[in-house]
Amino acid sequence: MECSFAITGKDYVLVASDTNAARSIIKMKSDEDKTKILSPHLVMTYSGEPGDTVQFAEYVERNIRLQHIRNIHELRPSSSAAWIRRSLADSLRSRHPYSVNLLLGGYDAATDTPKLYWIDYLGTLAEVPFAAHGYGSYFALSLLDRYHNPEASLEEGVATLKRCISEVQKRLVVNLETFKVRVVDKDGVREIEL
Amino acid sequence: MSIMSYNGGSIVAMVGKDCVAIASDLRLGNQALTIATNFEKVFPVTDRLYVGLPGLATDVVTLRERFRFRVNMYTIKEEREIEPETFAHLVSSTLYERRFGPYFVEPVIAGLEKGTNKPFIATTDLIGCLTLPKDFAVAGTASDKLFGVAEGLWEPDLEPEDLFETISQTLMNAVDRDAFSGWGAIVHLITPDQVITRTLKARMD
Amino acid sequence: MSPTVGPVSRDFNPYSDNGGTILAIAGEDFAVVAGDTRQSEGYNIQTRYAPKVFRLTDKAVLAVNGFAADGNMFVKKVKQRLEWYRHAHGKDMQLRAIARMIQTMLYAKRFFPYYVYNILGGIEEDGSGAVYSFDPVGSYEREACRAAGAAQSLVQPFLDNQIYFKNQTPAIDAPFPRHLPLSHVLSIVTDSFTSATERHIEVGDGLEIYIILAKGKTLSGLGLDGVKGLSEVTSTVDDSDGSASEGESLAEGERIFVLRRELKKD
Repeated sequence: MECSFAITGKDYVLVASDTNAARSIIKMKSDEDKTKILSPHLVMTYSGEPGDTVQFAEYVERNIRLQHIRNIHELRPSSSAAWIRRSLADSLRSRHPYSVNLLLGGYDAATDTPKLYWIDYLGTLAEVPFAAHGYGSYFALSLLDRYHNPEASLEEGVATLKRCISEVQKRLVVNLETFKVRVVDKDGVREIEL
Repeated sequence: MSIMSYNGGSIVAMVGKDCVAIASDLRLGNQALTIATNFEKVFPVTDRLYVGLPGLATDVVTLRERFRFRVNMYTIKEEREIEPETFAHLVSSTLYERRFGPYFVEPVIAGLEKGTNKPFIATTDLIGCLTLPKDFAVAGTASDKLFGVAEGLWEPDLEPEDLFETISQTLMNAVDRDAFSGWGAIVHLITPDQVITRTLKARMD
Repeated sequence: MSPTVGPVSRDFNPYSDNGGTILAIAGEDFAVVAGDTRQSEGYNIQTRYAPKVFRLTDKAVLAVNGFAADGNMFVKKVKQRLEWYRHAHGKDMQLRAIARMIQTMLYAKRFFPYYVYNILGGIEEDGSGAVYSFDPVGSYEREACRAAGAAQSLVQPFLDNQIYFKNQTPAIDAPFPRHLPLSHVLSIVTDSFTSATERHIEVGDGLEIYIILAKGKTLSGLGLDGVKGLSEVTSTVDDSDGSASEGESLAEGERIFVLRRELKKD
């Protein structure tokens, strides 16, 4: 019952993830940050099998950091996405596949373009204008079909994101009280309070 | 639930007079839910050879990467570009390597042979069994529809622009009857002196 | 102690799939209903000539596809109901009435259905060509064209393109015709079946094309004069060897012809 969204706008990407940590029917925690800042211009939401998620997210985080240190230059979003995807695709055909779904938001400083990648546990990779994982996708994608604007300002983008969140909070049977929202643009990654 | 139709998507390739064409839809889905409408499944191998990879999307990307690697290695070792027929066998053996744990992809290959400009098309199943049709090749979730329309519309020795019209109509009318394919289409028309790539204005539902 | 006999479950499947494909197209003042004649079960061809298209009245033709035993029984019952109607009212049932009757007959067996897809073609009271297509439990719709059966998925998108002109853009001064001429329709039907025969193992052997003409319409000028395999089956024509090409028929109302063609047998 996890849920994450992301949308691109003019020169930024917004990512949001719910903050529940649940085991079976029990809510263990309601302030879990399920996003990770991978590099100065790269942020990722992760969801899926508990255990796998944090393990894989940290594995990705350390490797992207390693690239940054080795090359004294951060890996660009498209290359990061390709590396993460390949890790999942290789994992899929291993004895213990990671069951983790990701949304990868980045800002490509070389071309001054916002980038958003939808990645699932199979290693499926798609570059998209907006994306969602979990049950929320059934509500959010149709809303975003209608309201997404690639040229929207940050304020307009946040307003669209709020639409998605409030729709999920209204119509999904599970109560997802709070969402952690982060934005990535030319200045890097920062958190946004809704 | 079949793995081959988990993400959806279809490919068709056709032979013309001194030209070939290969086309695909643009949908990426998670079963019934459409995730992206810009997911290309046809990739250039050389500037007169293309490969289409319909099937499980993760394997589509993995295979594209593997084929690019193997073709680069071939080009370096042989100091020449790979020929369509050679590439078809490379595809076949790459897939057969995974005979008992296959990539869930049914490739379609289209290109022109060097020097003669003879059209070449081929398909394989997911474990690399090659088929070399003389008219057209189809694969993906709308393959039965593609067979029906292509069999009705295709004729021998089509000129490039007529071939473009034929393959476009075949693809669009087939994917319009398939819930897992569609949401836009792209056509690559390979002629001896250029490759023309066009995205089609198709039904978006 | 004597052995006790517990409940024994037996698994009986009353249905089978006998392959084949049917197709119907409506014109402005005619309708064409066609079907192949192969009947198969799995990889076994039971017969190369089992008709799936039947003349009901002089203005109605029914094609049945799916489970052949159910199909034949269903046609038999429809014909019986039409005969009763004739005895009661002294005239043939209208096409739209036949369509509604077929719905009720199919839905009557909603929980043990006739495992058949029906396509009804013919001429309406206003003289227009009509096609009605049904699902096995009686949902139906009037359409301009429909394919059903084993090769439906091969033929229907081809028809979308060639009959409804889907994905085609008309020239500015030449809009698409709402109805196609009979000669054109016949060639689309033939192409559809040769294509389906080429790519589907359950389609082939023979093709029967029923042509239903509105009052006053003739086949002349279609290049069908003296064509082998064409015969008239209008009820008022007794000539069973079907001299369709010769002179005027005795029929005053709608007329029905059958065009028989060979299909590949492999």
